[in-house]
Amino acid sequence: MGRYVVRRLGQLVVVVLGATMILFACLFVLPGDPVGSIGGDKARDPAVVKELRAHYGLDDPLVVQYVHYVEKLGKGDLGEDYTQGRSVNEILQPKLVNTAKLAVTAIIFDVILGLSVGVLAAMRRYSVWDVSVTFLTTLAVGVPSIVIGMILQRFFVVELGWFPLISDGSFNSMVLPAVTLAIIDAALVAQIARSTMLEVLRADYVKTAVAKGLPRRTILTRHIMRNSVIPVITYLGISFGGLLGGALITETIFNWDGIGLALITAIQSQNNPIIVGVVTYSVAVFILLNLIVDLLYAALDPRIRLS
Amino acid sequence: MRGAKSAKWVVGAVIVALAATACGGDNKDDKSSAGAGKGGGTFSLGLVEPVSIDPVNAQESEGILVTDNLFTGLYEPTADGKVIPALATSKTVSDDGKTWTFKIKPGTKFTNGEVVNAEAFIRGWTRLAAKASASDVATPNVGGIDGFEALQKGTGTTFSGLSAPDENTLQVKLATPDFEFDVKTTHTSMSPVPKVAGAGKNQAYNDAPIGNGPFKMSGKWEHNKSITLVRNDDYGLAKAHLDKVNISILNSANASQLEYQGFQSGQFDWARMPTAQLTAAKAKYTAQGEWIQAETSGMNYLLPITDNGPLKTAKARQAISYAIDRDAIIAGVFQGMQTKSTTILPPSFADVYTKDLCVSCIKQDKEKAKSLAAEAGLKPGDELHFGFNTGGGHEEWVQAVAQQVKDVLGLNVKIDAKPFKELLAAQQAPGATGAYRFAWGADYPTPDNFLFPLLDSKSINPDASGKVQGDNRARYNSPAFDALVEKARSTKDTTARNEVYKQAEKLAMDDQALIPLWNRTQFRLVNTKKFANGAMDFHEDPNLAQITLK
Repeated sequence: MGRYVVRRLGQLVVVVLGATMILFACLFVLPGDPVGSIGGDKARDPAVVKELRAHYGLDDPLVVQYVHYVEKLGKGDLGEDYTQGRSVNEILQPKLVNTAKLAVTAIIFDVILGLSVGVLAAMRRYSVWDVSVTFLTTLAVGVPSIVIGMILQRFFVVELGWFPLISDGSFNSMVLPAVTLAIIDAALVAQIARSTMLEVLRADYVKTAVAKGLPRRTILTRHIMRNSVIPVITYLGISFGGLLGGALITETIFNWDGIGLALITAIQSQNNPIIVGVVTYSVAVFILLNLIVDLLYAALDPRIRLS
Repeated sequence: MRGAKSAKWVVGAVIVALAATACGGDNKDDKSSAGAGKGGGTFSLGLVEPVSIDPVNAQESEGILVTDNLFTGLYEPTADGKVIPALATSKTVSDDGKTWTFKIKPGTKFTNGEVVNAEAFIRGWTRLAAKASASDVATPNVGGIDGFEALQKGTGTTFSGLSAPDENTLQVKLATPDFEFDVKTTHTSMSPVPKVAGAGKNQAYNDAPIGNGPFKMSGKWEHNKSITLVRNDDYGLAKAHLDKVNISILNSANASQLEYQGFQSGQFDWARMPTAQLTAAKAKYTAQGEWIQAETSGMNYLLPITDNGPLKTAKARQAISYAIDRDAIIAGVFQGMQTKSTTILPPSFADVYTKDLCVSCIKQDKEKAKSLAAEAGLKPGDELHFGFNTGGGHEEWVQAVAQQVKDVLGLNVKIDAKPFKELLAAQQAPGATGAYRFAWGADYPTPDNFLFPLLDSKSINPDASGKVQGDNRARYNSPAFDALVEKARSTKDTTARNEVYKQAEKLAMDDQALIPLWNRTQFRLVNTKKFANGAMDFHEDPNLAQITLK
């Protein structure tokens, strides 16, 4: 187990290095000088461009720039951004916290909403409830988050005034973006929970448990839930990884100051240090979460061996 | 550079003060009295994260909104293109245009108690020019002062051209004559700074500048989150009325939508609107007196590459201009919300504005376009490259212009969509051809701020590889035009100087050195239920220092 974790963490380093290298090469070959203008039609003063290119080492060959980057990365330093000249660590740190807050809230909504709806649907199979759940979840999965987000914003912020427009990190301002993120995910979770539950309900060990005369509650929690939750956890793990990497559209709609928003703004302005920083972080988080999900499998189902 | 990031196509002119507010005239009498009467109130607005709120690098509309309210310099621009004194009590310029002397209002203070004197200005301008500051706004503003090069190279630490013969007199020696140097002092980067400002790169001061303006910072700049301003009760000029200004920082990808939603839900008192919603918003808010519409000091053009490719001759450029039906595009794409432009200079520069200078802009003329194209050797099927930047909402009108040129002249128009920085690199590259979308906004109200950077051959400034480093990316090179600009610059009398600038503009227009499209018209909403006197200033920002509670 310990060795397994160490090996997986070793893989993480390799993947992160590979990802930064590819990204670096891509951003480097992009035409246009990243410090050539501040975004407008006015060209920058050549003296300023020269000064900035020297400051950021942009005149060095790609390999030299990359080596410098990795050296700094090893010390946990993501460099300095091109627009304001601030430390990327300092810029991203509050954004990481914001994105994490939003991701956790969204996942909690997901679990509560998705699992309960899915389990109830499975237990009352083919009832009106079950059919409407299937219908509504299919609908929810099909509607893009930009539509959900803008409708929620229009209705609850502009018309009703229940929530603030500008997210300030408070719980109140987090509700709408979290719900936007959770709706699609919760629908998927409900569908997955429903189908695996139905499968488990027909399993021999459940029949045995019923025959043994175990209380319904025990059967549900010990036998059914525990066995049907693995696909759900797989899905939630991937989804949570995605959320922690920043929800680009939802963060933009609600002006949630997370790393998804940082990434969009950075791409628009070719602010490469931010782009590389966000992607490096997202890759690392994604791999870590996959590892955690794998470890959870083993904990939930002793038959699964990690090697 | 201001406002350049998003919808650049909108263009500009005269300020329209808010068609305001049948309020009982009780807010008139406190205009100059300190915070008395109808003082108070909190004004809220949304703003895209500025590049800098420290004068050392304040440049775009967003940064200037904050910096201008934190600092006051010698002169100020008005929305209709005039220059009015702020801290300057007098100015004199020598007959050779190389020595300027400004008298400064004595006894005003920074919010930390330091005195605003000539030294404070010298400190600010030296900091601006220093190599380590790498400021975008140094060369255009203080680049002409003696000793600038030493500071830029880092070989000197003092500005040899600046001196203070006494506490409140600032003397400026220029390397080349400039009879409009006083106009340059309107730029917010030309503010005085206190001793605590330190070097240009000084994070603590950059994020919480201490100034001498009508407002001061409350706390520091919470990046990507908020900036809060409160009234400076010790302000040396007419004091502001509002107690507080809450600025929420919005993301550039969704800012106008958020501002509009915020205004509708009562969370913002000032807002831009998404282009698609302008018509509906105008109908709704005009009746309530909350709609502001102004043609500001910017213009939208097609930029023809004049030294290479199909648009090398004036006739070819005129053919393109005649082929464009501006009225149809304004009606079809902009729902009639833009105004056609027929000049290089914006109508807000009322002293020099000469309508219909661009004859080919007045009305589409297919026959004239065809005959001019034939004379210029432009044949149907010839390729014309047309570059524009994505993400600014330009797609629709670019398509329309391309289609008209194709229909009328039969040219094979190749539309080339690129992100901003790539587009700039393509315009700058040696061997560029064809036409580009282009817009320009004034940093200060003078014709020179358009004519010199956009069309003077000195503004081509190619490097060794032939890359154009200046803003004359049309590569327009006319000795006669250069001579007129030179003559204007060395003319002391303002009226006479403006006449020469008008001649220069006419010459460039006859050459069709740029192809004007439409003005920069800006639209805002302002809350007139709660506030009075709201208007758009020269930088397209709200005039916070004049706004009062109703």
